[in-house]
Amino acid sequence: MKAPQTLIGVGTLALGALLAVGATQISSDAGYAGVGPNFLPWLVGAALLLCGGFLIWEARSGGFRQMEEPSGGGTGHWPGFVWVSIGILANAVLITTIGFILSCSLCFVLAVRGFKASEGRLDLSPKAWIVDALIGFAIAAPVYWMFTQLLAINLPGLTATGWI
Amino acid sequence: MDIWNQLMQGFVTAGTPINLLWALLGCTIGTAVGVLPGIGPATAVAMLLPITLKVDPTASMIFFAGIYYGAMYGGSTTSILLNTPGESGSMVTAMEGNKMAKSGRAGAALATSAIGSFVAGTIATVLVTFFAPLVANYAVKLGPPEYFLLMVLAFCTVSAVLGKSTLRGLVSLFVGLAMGLVGIDQITGQARYTGGVPELMDGLEVVLIAVGLFAVAEALYAVLYEGRSVETQNKMSKVHMTAEEWRRSWPAWLRATFIGIPFGCIPAGGSEIPTFLSYATEKKLSKHKEDFGTVGAIEGVAGPEAANNAAITATLIPLLTLGIPTSNTTAILLGAFQNYGIQPGPQLFDKNAALVWALIASLYIGNVMLLILNLPLVGLWVKLLKIPKPQLYAGILIFATVGVYGMRQSAFDLVLLYGIGLLGVVMRRFDFPTAPVVVGMILGPLAEAQMRNALSIGEGKWGVFLQRPASLVLLIIVLAVLLLPRLMKLRKRAA
Repeated sequence: MKAPQTLIGVGTLALGALLAVGATQISSDAGYAGVGPNFLPWLVGAALLLCGGFLIWEARSGGFRQMEEPSGGGTGHWPGFVWVSIGILANAVLITTIGFILSCSLCFVLAVRGFKASEGRLDLSPKAWIVDALIGFAIAAPVYWMFTQLLAINLPGLTATGWI
Repeated sequence: MDIWNQLMQGFVTAGTPINLLWALLGCTIGTAVGVLPGIGPATAVAMLLPITLKVDPTASMIFFAGIYYGAMYGGSTTSILLNTPGESGSMVTAMEGNKMAKSGRAGAALATSAIGSFVAGTIATVLVTFFAPLVANYAVKLGPPEYFLLMVLAFCTVSAVLGKSTLRGLVSLFVGLAMGLVGIDQITGQARYTGGVPELMDGLEVVLIAVGLFAVAEALYAVLYEGRSVETQNKMSKVHMTAEEWRRSWPAWLRATFIGIPFGCIPAGGSEIPTFLSYATEKKLSKHKEDFGTVGAIEGVAGPEAANNAAITATLIPLLTLGIPTSNTTAILLGAFQNYGIQPGPQLFDKNAALVWALIASLYIGNVMLLILNLPLVGLWVKLLKIPKPQLYAGILIFATVGVYGMRQSAFDLVLLYGIGLLGVVMRRFDFPTAPVVVGMILGPLAEAQMRNALSIGEGKWGVFLQRPASLVLLIIVLAVLLLPRLMKLRKRAA
């Protein structure tokens, strides 16, 4: 646990540094207020640097204090995680080309593979793919219609009909 | 009688068929997300924020409020019937509720929590009706220094007091404040941290952060760590309370209501503290101490459930009168108001009186709807627990996509969503609280504007926070909230 905790501290430091660097580019024109638009950025940057330092110190001296034991398994199930990640990212890449319904159905199918894998019952048979694709479609399609037809909120479709 | 007239006017607005339909829809969705594990009211409201683009403000606020307290009713069903609490507010309910369900009294536990929620929710709504205008009247007199300090107080309690570790709470808060910095500075109109990307000019989208941090993170966390967790479900029994159970429940409901309300009002949201307090009170006062932890004591379910609902309803007082959110969900509700260009605060009761009173009236209506939805129809909701986890979480991802994409029509936001989801997994794994991130992000820009306005009033001198009596008192409260717990710990150690 020590190395990841230190890494979180380093990440916090990095974010603080990023904010501080960015703050140098913001004007300090204070007007009547005495502090300008760069005041809070500097403050938040400094606070994150300070907190990052403390996190690293805690991590190096016995770990984070008053930690609640995280729920679930001690080690992550990475194959399942990869399935779900691909599902979400594929959705981001494809949504504008193949439309909301198909893209979300694909995301659904891939994510279900991942969750089932993590439960130790990954099913790659064609039948399971088709069943999940249909369930995904049955969730995504009504949602799409509700948004495009009822609420007139734009979601990308494969065609311009507003139905798929 | 002014309040009375306005409330009646509110009932007229909230009672139109279309608004009743929105309330019913909100209560139904709220109960469903409360029952379903992996999705809570904050996530649900965030996912549905795109409707603010089209639906009129009154209808959508009635709808969102329905989701907000509907989830509290639904949450108890899950914590009584499953061995995992649906959300943090019902953790305590789970302790006794589970024991009761195991000894075949699930029905009585469900009944006492639904009726208790109704009693507490209604009493709290009455108090909101009478106190919110009073608070608003008083709040008009507050200037920027006082507002700024009230917001600082909210930051302190959300990050430093409620969590287990002040350090991790503060990290979350400052990450949230950093997110809030992105975009146009409210006072000078200068762009900050946009890196020249036009999409970032408007700031980070609330939907994106909330849905990423709650829904996507929850799904990723579940696939990584919770695949092997086995859940057992308790048997349902007839939803019915005996005369003896009524007698034991109602004092607990009333006591808990008055424990819950103050905690909702002060900027120290979260319903963990009042539910635990109510549980401890009931355990102490009960004539059936032997039931606690063995066969399950009905007081131990009735009290915390009522306290939870009272606190949740009362959080609307600081939200509506001061514009200060004290929990994840109220922070997102504030975001919803902002989408309409409405800034909750004391002026809300003047400028948007129709909206506010319709919202308050809808709370009364919603509580009745929820009682009906949750007592006779509880069997229907129990069926939701049968949805298998893989399909449930995968389905949540579809809704996450709608919420985020529908808001800004940007595929890039979906990639960001995944990134925020990863951040959420790390936060959950290492016990960083999420509420400070959301509250910091939404309240941060408002607090900054108040601070700079306050300094302008003080001609650039920080002394302005000390010279005004009200702001001095608030400053002392902030310091007390921060320092007292630490001093007490030190004294304990010394003794």
